[in-house]
Amino acid sequence: MKNKGYMGKILMVDLTSGEIQEEALPDPVYEKYLGGMGLGAHILYTRIPEGADPLGPDNMLAFLPGLLTGTGSLFTGRWMVAGKSPLTGGWGDANCGGTFAPEIKRCGYDGIFVKGISEKPVYLYINDHTRELRDASDVWGMDTVETEEYLEKHAKANGKKPKVVCIGPAGEKLSLISGISTDKGRMAARSGLGAVMGAKKLKAIVLSGQKRINAHDREEMKRLSRMCNKWVQFQPPFVNGPMTAFVGALLRIMPTVLTQDGMLYKILLKKWGTVSMNQMSPEMGDSPIKNWKGTSSDWGFKKSYSSNPDVFKNCEIVKFHCYSCPLGCGGICTMDKKYSHTHKPEYETVLALGGFCMNEDVDGIFYMNELLNRAGMDTISAGHAVAFALECYEEGIITKEDTDGLELTWGNSEAIVTLIERMVKREGFGHVLADGVKQAALRIGKGAEAFAVLAGGQEPAMHDSRNDPGFALHYSVEPTPGRHTLGSHLYYEMFKLWTVVKGVPKIPPMYLKGSKYKNPEKQAAIGAANSRFMTLVNCTGACLFASFLGAKRFPLFGWINAATGWKLTPNEYMNLAGEIHTVKQAFNVKHGIEPKNCKISERALGRPAQTEGANKGRSIDIEMMMTHYWEQFGWDSQTGKPSQETIKRLSDGV
Amino acid sequence: MAYLITENCNGCTSCAGLCPVEAIQGEKKERHVIDADFCIECGACARICPQSAVQDPSGRIVQSEKKKYWKKPAFDYSTCMACGICVNACPVGCIMFGQPSLKDKNAYPELADPGTCISCGFCADECPVEAVMLMPPGEEQIAKAG
Repeated sequence: MKNKGYMGKILMVDLTSGEIQEEALPDPVYEKYLGGMGLGAHILYTRIPEGADPLGPDNMLAFLPGLLTGTGSLFTGRWMVAGKSPLTGGWGDANCGGTFAPEIKRCGYDGIFVKGISEKPVYLYINDHTRELRDASDVWGMDTVETEEYLEKHAKANGKKPKVVCIGPAGEKLSLISGISTDKGRMAARSGLGAVMGAKKLKAIVLSGQKRINAHDREEMKRLSRMCNKWVQFQPPFVNGPMTAFVGALLRIMPTVLTQDGMLYKILLKKWGTVSMNQMSPEMGDSPIKNWKGTSSDWGFKKSYSSNPDVFKNCEIVKFHCYSCPLGCGGICTMDKKYSHTHKPEYETVLALGGFCMNEDVDGIFYMNELLNRAGMDTISAGHAVAFALECYEEGIITKEDTDGLELTWGNSEAIVTLIERMVKREGFGHVLADGVKQAALRIGKGAEAFAVLAGGQEPAMHDSRNDPGFALHYSVEPTPGRHTLGSHLYYEMFKLWTVVKGVPKIPPMYLKGSKYKNPEKQAAIGAANSRFMTLVNCTGACLFASFLGAKRFPLFGWINAATGWKLTPNEYMNLAGEIHTVKQAFNVKHGIEPKNCKISERALGRPAQTEGANKGRSIDIEMMMTHYWEQFGWDSQTGKPSQETIKRLSDGV
Repeated sequence: MAYLITENCNGCTSCAGLCPVEAIQGEKKERHVIDADFCIECGACARICPQSAVQDPSGRIVQSEKKKYWKKPAFDYSTCMACGICVNACPVGCIMFGQPSLKDKNAYPELADPGTCISCGFCADECPVEAVMLMPPGEEQIAKAG
């Protein structure tokens, strides 16, 4: 056990042979790759062989807590899963909160790495004395909530409930948009990594450890946490739910923008959670509507009112805090349909199954949220697949004969719910959509791909890249494409990195909206700083939303030094993060990904530009931004690939 | 570092029965041994030992105390963030989230099972905002009052 925040060991599990071995890691590995995402990138880059089948035995799946998890810092209870994505063919990762992350460290590990394929369904059980693969035939076929309840009951040890991550039927049936669930409905949803777990016949991981997690200077950790918490608890009264729409409308109408301070978003998140954006985002042009072809005018106040934030707050019975989170943006809600409780749907889910499909039925959204969580299917990708089908139906590419009689018209809630039910079961037309938009377009053919909006094979999230070119850039250039949690211009404004990191672009207190669409070199520099910082966030197990507080109120760099005893400057950490980011890009190159092919679809770039709504006339010069972004990391400006010398250096390891 | 059972041990097994990580081995009426690889330094073995036969990691003999006098966690709800750090830190699972109130939908931690508390203090140690304190039995209200 070390007094450096990390445990100094990882666990390697081979499902084919059944071997489980601890592996000690030397300090220089942590000094270079930190932990969490960085540690995962290092191990997976060096150990997954070139060309490995994502659903084959050579692929590895990593479950990673953060470097700061359990050290006394706040907002650092997120865990990550990483592996080669069957959805994109390249680096895949997904990030999740809940209470699972500290349990990995309490079992004594900074990561659990799984390779091979088991002959029969198994789950991995670890406590202080035991590490074993157990028969999972009893739970194979159960949904994620049933699985967790069963394993909590049957694998209980030391009086404490064990912590569980598991897949549902979607992962078992190798859906390429399936994720991994914990805390009965929180999902590491993106990149299709649930299918990797399903292919390995690994139903769940059950942990029940009691080890201490020691920080180098816990008093300093606490001092920084108390400072951060003061900002979190500052919660002035705020407008009611529907009034958020007017804030959004104001942001749309104004030609200039005041640089955003994350305190506004903190206040919204603490009061409502991410659903606070349900009306504000569409009004300001941040939400893609109607499979990216609609505008803010198509999903105006009257339509979005059905999912106004107060609807969700009013049926919330208890707030849900992830481990070490003083804010609590999550919640458990009651509902009238088949299931009595559900995790409060996130903004992404509400929009993907709501405005994105022109669906005003909020009860249906609650139900589909729970259904997808139980199946272990990504709500963002599932919503995309449905909206894609609705447009194909509108265009006459598919008919009722193809859809098993479903009338797939925009906003037809009954048909949308039935379609989702069939997707999770892979029944009939549901099977066509069950692997996401890319596979659906291939299966339908007849030119359907014209309506597919993708980045590197993954469905982008519910933040419109035409409204914020930063989203366009990060959807297109991140080693795991199509992700909304890795950077945007708005995020960068809120991070306020220039207050602690030297040499990164500073955003003026007020600027013209149009300036974001010019000067691709500066936008790329902002994007690179974003990527570096978010890499640090994902190495430490920190929360994106907490980062909105700003670099001075959310003392990430100070926490890392206090937890580890290192004495690095913010700039030195940003440089390390750049190296880790390069490892992920090198992973993609090793596995045959052409970075320039990950560019998001033309429609999401405003090509052609929309003729009405919040994003009227906007289009993004993404190619120039991508080129300059790659230069920021020293990668080839034309191909986006790290140099051969860099790749050799990374392959040699520490 | 770990706790150590000295030769004064009479093998009563009290410590082994209480150890939350099953780190103590030994036959009845024979000297017991703590496996340092598993010991989490909760000190329960030392507090319960009727022979006062257990050394703490700094080498000091810990005086035993009747379990009913052991300090237990009390919560200052004016400071508590409902972040769950104390719930996770507890090695015996005696701290759990309570029910939210009508005014406040946060679920705050409470000592749900005082009988299993081993007075390790990890909850107080790990709480970043000092909202958890170990208090003698009967004085919990002092903490609750902030």
